[in-house]
Amino acid sequence: MAKLILLWLKCVIFWATIEAVFEDQVGKFDWRQQYVGKVRFSHFDTHVQSSKKVLVATERNVFAALNTRTGELFWRHVDKSGSEGNIDALLQHGQDAVLMVGNGRLLRSWEISVGGLNWEVVLDSGSFQSACLVGQQDMVKHVAVLKKTAISVHYLSNGHQKWIENLPETETVDYQAVYSDGNGEVYVLGVVPHSHIAIVVYSLEDGEIIKQMSVEAPWLSNIQASCVVVGQGMLTCVDSAAMSFYMLDLRLQLQMTQVPLQAYSVNLFSAETGRRLLDTTLIDFYSVFQLYVQAFLKKDDSVGYRAMVQTEDHTLTFIQQPGRVMWTREEALSDVVTMEMVDLPLTGTQAELEGEFGKKADGLMSMVMKRLSSQLILLQAWIAHLWKLFYDARKPRSQVKNDITIENLSRDEFNLQKMMVMVTASGKLFGIDSKTGGILWRHYLDNVPPNAAFKLMVQRTTAHFPHPPQCTLLIKDKDTGLATLHVFNPIFGKKSHVTPPALPQPVLQSLMLPLMDQDYAKVLLLIDDHYKVSAFPSTKNVLQQLQEMAASIFFYLVDSSQGRLSGYRLRTDLSTEQIWEVVIPPEVQRIVSVKGKRPNEHVHSQGRVMGDRSVLYKYLNPNLLAVVTESTDLHQERSFIGILLIDGVTGRIIHEAVQRKARGPVHVVHSENWVVYEYWSTKSRRNEFSVIELYEGMELYNSTVFSSLDRPHAPQVLQQSYIFPSSISTMEATLTEKGITSRHLLIGLPSGGILSLPKMFLDPRRPEIVSEQSREENLIPYAPELLIRTEWFINYNQTVSRVRGIYTAPSGLESTCLVVAYGLDIYQTRVYPSKQFDVLKDDYDYMLISSVLFALFFATMISKRLAEVKLLNRAWR
Amino acid sequence: MLQRDRIPLQLIFLQVALVVTWCFTDMETGPGASVSTQPNGDRFKIEGRAIVPGIKTQDWVSTARVLVEGEEYVGFLRTDGSFAVNDVPSGSYVVEVVTPTYRFEAVRVDITTKGKMRARLVNYIKTSEVIRQPYPLQIRASGPHSYFMKRETWGWTDFLMNPMVMMMVLPLLIIVLLPKVVNTNDPEMRKEMEQSMNMLNPNPELPDVSELMTKLFSGSKGSSKAGSSSKGTRPAAKRR
Repeated sequence: MAKLILLWLKCVIFWATIEAVFEDQVGKFDWRQQYVGKVRFSHFDTHVQSSKKVLVATERNVFAALNTRTGELFWRHVDKSGSEGNIDALLQHGQDAVLMVGNGRLLRSWEISVGGLNWEVVLDSGSFQSACLVGQQDMVKHVAVLKKTAISVHYLSNGHQKWIENLPETETVDYQAVYSDGNGEVYVLGVVPHSHIAIVVYSLEDGEIIKQMSVEAPWLSNIQASCVVVGQGMLTCVDSAAMSFYMLDLRLQLQMTQVPLQAYSVNLFSAETGRRLLDTTLIDFYSVFQLYVQAFLKKDDSVGYRAMVQTEDHTLTFIQQPGRVMWTREEALSDVVTMEMVDLPLTGTQAELEGEFGKKADGLMSMVMKRLSSQLILLQAWIAHLWKLFYDARKPRSQVKNDITIENLSRDEFNLQKMMVMVTASGKLFGIDSKTGGILWRHYLDNVPPNAAFKLMVQRTTAHFPHPPQCTLLIKDKDTGLATLHVFNPIFGKKSHVTPPALPQPVLQSLMLPLMDQDYAKVLLLIDDHYKVSAFPSTKNVLQQLQEMAASIFFYLVDSSQGRLSGYRLRTDLSTEQIWEVVIPPEVQRIVSVKGKRPNEHVHSQGRVMGDRSVLYKYLNPNLLAVVTESTDLHQERSFIGILLIDGVTGRIIHEAVQRKARGPVHVVHSENWVVYEYWSTKSRRNEFSVIELYEGMELYNSTVFSSLDRPHAPQVLQQSYIFPSSISTMEATLTEKGITSRHLLIGLPSGGILSLPKMFLDPRRPEIVSEQSREENLIPYAPELLIRTEWFINYNQTVSRVRGIYTAPSGLESTCLVVAYGLDIYQTRVYPSKQFDVLKDDYDYMLISSVLFALFFATMISKRLAEVKLLNRAWR
Repeated sequence: MLQRDRIPLQLIFLQVALVVTWCFTDMETGPGASVSTQPNGDRFKIEGRAIVPGIKTQDWVSTARVLVEGEEYVGFLRTDGSFAVNDVPSGSYVVEVVTPTYRFEAVRVDITTKGKMRARLVNYIKTSEVIRQPYPLQIRASGPHSYFMKRETWGWTDFLMNPMVMMMVLPLLIIVLLPKVVNTNDPEMRKEMEQSMNMLNPNPELPDVSELMTKLFSGSKGSSKAGSSSKGTRPAAKRR
């Protein structure tokens, strides 16, 4: 029997390694949201009357076509991030959209109905200024590109250059705009700040200068900021200082006509009505950043308009004529910085039952009565639930709506549905329901500095009813180091009544302690640049607890510019004392990342059972830090990366490994007793994975409690490396509630896939030669190359562009881990690293099991009857 | 590092021969360094075409991208399936066409400092092995990606051929048939049987089915009961 069970277990483990998504599970518990980023340029596709496209080019180097009816994407092209993929200009003509990319380096033309590329040409380097389409007798065949010192004209059909000319007097004149009126002439506008506008007119045919003009404009300093060409070559500029408006006909005049602004009240008025209209229709309306309006003639000859509004909080809103909001896109979510998952609160009845335990006991009899009454309420709720199920089942499926709103949010049976609190770079916070992806609340913090660093912490979970859950967001200005705290309720998004302490000093480090105050809020310690510690909340109770615990509170600081890692201890008067310091010379190598373990991680088994039935105990040091360094010398022969394992309390270096001829970016995952890291091997030009595992040995020094201060034996270190056939974007390990389930690594690939790689494959004990014992241990024989199998992609074809982070959270089920991958897109799913061993699978065959049961039942009935007959016969004999 | 030590002499010879014949004297040196040391050096263009047999290009090009060495350089596909990645300095790169629906093989492209190009198969283990591929690249999709597992469908044959069922049915047959063929009460016979069972089981420390069975042999009455109970535990254990 034992062998049977063993075999069955083996089967389970074997199947676990080929875990994948089934086709019928698509969309059942996963969802993806695609974003484009903050819009920089936009064009309504107007060349076909019925077109539903609007083209957008964004600050995240994305070029996409949106559906004007629904706001969904038709197609999207994600270019390189950074300045090399930066989109400088967007022009549209008919089926073609012309894009200037990478500060005038590339000129691309896209076919907008399919979303394919027409052509791409490389231009000479030079700072890009402006671009425009050049027409000739109503036929647009060319595009003109203006650079700092030259102008070039390209054919629209294939991108080939027609001519390129150097601009005159580039030392004094700052050329900023190019314009063509469709008569075979190209106007280049330059400005000498606070002096005059220089206009150079080129012939489209051969690039010869037809004429050069100069117009006095002592008030003008920048054309792009204050001028626009309207109508037939009418340059209009605004002088905000003099409150006036200038007009210049580029073809005729040599003098600017000044118009006081009041005369143009019509224009202003129409803009104003539009504005007022918007104000009345939108609830969350922050200041408008950009407004794209398309006016068109309706069938009854009245003027209609559509508008796309980009607001300060990166919301894109599409408005149809009578002020109706067609759709909104929360483009802030294209840049999620950090996130947390918070358990949903219990339902009212459950909370009542829980509340019973919170109260003080007042007599046996009343307690029994209370219990009985609450059980009765539960029964009532259950019957109501059943009735609702029955009622819904009779209705056709389409009518049953399960709209999740903030009011009916409640925790499900297995705690699979959670609230995702997402913090975006723009300073907008979102609360998203993990089951459907619906945005339940949003909150815009308008005082966030542009280069802020965020740290989100859950101070109180929903477990402490009636105290509301509480999250704290630490917003730190990277330049000054000054920080502010935003305290809010993660379920409703409302700012908490608790006033956070003002932080006048730059904050160096923040840490969450397992201590709780009398209201069950965890204590947050903040260390400022004078190494003074302040606590939040800082009630008397907390300070007292801190004083008691001070001797066992340690923390570390990292100064990567000086290459210094230092450890501190808390004194009872809340001052600190340095106890260790490790200096890594910054001339040779610099600290890239420091990774500790996740505080909510559980390790179920203390050791591993070997083939000979002995136990190899894991070195489970909760204070262990993995420090990754990269060499400053980037030459391929001399570059290296280093990894240091340091005990955060004592500063003791547990292990040090150096990977020669390797360079970053290094991705690290640190968990349990292992560290996995990935780097680029310059020697073999490939990505490699390396795994370090730490073991105490065959005996455990002190099995009850781990103390960094009392651990005389250095752990055994095992290491192994593998080839990985792709570069990676990010990496994280799965996390389950009790840590029984085997671990997988979730690897975000540049192709958009998220690979779930079993940790089994990254095991330094994988043998080169298979022996009886290794087979007994289920070790896979060593193979140098790790494979990428598309069956292991947890997001099948729902690719996630530019994965920036993967967040894992345990659910109420031990087998299930919740995963959120974020980057340009957001993808949420569940993974089962060891398959669903604690719930019935969704394809569980109820028919089979019930028919077998019935068959057995009847078989026993019949055999009983037969036996009776037989006995009777025997008795007669 | 991993398998290089074991590269047979033959291969080294082959390698040398190839280096000589193709005159790629700077194949092993340079490329990585050139990326970092000469940012303003000559830039080249990687060209090619991706083909999905039997599918119109309009249907898939809008979701496709060309990735050179991860996301270091990015190219897009034209409406006819051809592509060009511009602005690539000399070096050695892995070029792959990425779409969510179709699978394309990656190709390694070497560019010398003079701009000579060649394409070869990607081999991460023997990184210097050269198996030439056509250049400009011709990348043909090898079919759609298979993301999904097949659900196990239930059939009588599957049920009967299942190792678990086999393991239960066979002993049952033995239990029922054996007592009728041999006399289990004969002590010599029993000893022999025990020995043969021990031969099958290499690890004597494990508690074993055979022991259980020999115990069962003594009384044939309890056998049917044990059989049904083991049958019962299976679904229960699965549910756990």
